[in-house]
Amino acid sequence: MPRIVREADIAWEGTLSRGAGVVRATSSGAFDLPVTIASRVAEPEGKTSPEELLAAAHATCFVTSLAGELAKAGTPPEHLSVHCTITMDEVEAIGHRIVSSALSARGTAPGADAASFAQAAEAADAGCPFSALIKASATVTVEATLEGGS
Amino acid sequence: MADRTAKVTWSGSLIEGGGRIESVGSGAFGPLDVTWDSRAEDSNGRTSPEELIAAAHASCFSMALSHGLAQAGTPADRLDTSATVTFVPGTGITKIALTVRGAVPGVDAASFAEAAQAAKEGCPVSKALAAVPEITLDAALS
Repeated sequence: MPRIVREADIAWEGTLSRGAGVVRATSSGAFDLPVTIASRVAEPEGKTSPEELLAAAHATCFVTSLAGELAKAGTPPEHLSVHCTITMDEVEAIGHRIVSSALSARGTAPGADAASFAQAAEAADAGCPFSALIKASATVTVEATLEGGS
Repeated sequence: MADRTAKVTWSGSLIEGGGRIESVGSGAFGPLDVTWDSRAEDSNGRTSPEELIAAAHASCFSMALSHGLAQAGTPADRLDTSATVTFVPGTGITKIALTVRGAVPGVDAASFAEAAQAAKEGCPVSKALAAVPEITLDAALS
């Protein structure tokens, strides 16, 4: 398989507490966003953070895996919705650590039942490259609900 | 404790269908379209999980380095960091390359390299992604 390369840049000015950065999606140009430490550890006040970018990455990685698994099972999805919450906590003697990523998926997939949808979600978690990585250091939970299923 | 959230939807199959990062908790971005083709082939202006990981890592690393330099008594005027994530479908994320150029009054090349190495090892995203087989660092003063 070919190697796929994606790049992002950030320019940071000043100290951590008073400074600020702008993070840019260099490969695609899809976003250009301010970040600060205050918006990372306290209230976001409209600014993104590394953890929010990871939540978006994990939700996107998982939803594509789930679409793939449902198609593989012969029940391609009509619509899927995934919510991801990444939690960073202060761990004694270590400092800030990303401790968990919680995924919650809902969707419609004609022909699937609750059990096969849950099985596809489990396989999607096993197959999503981001899940595989973050499990080495954090807890990943998956909750899957089939909507309007038989 | 800080929770950060994102909501993504997908319609249709993996290859013919498509998704959208509808919103994030902060409201800072979204909706952003995503497709399998734009993830695995040319981006065509669309972001992907790997680009979001690159953005997360570059920003986390920059904050950690800014903090480390200030603690050493040599705060940075400016840090320019890029992160490049390599993804091989079927295998996973195989490499992240961090590159930083810093304008830091009063620091020599060796101390800057040392601070950058500490930021690479210590930032929360580095720790979360420690299972990536190869994470490289190229650090120099600008």
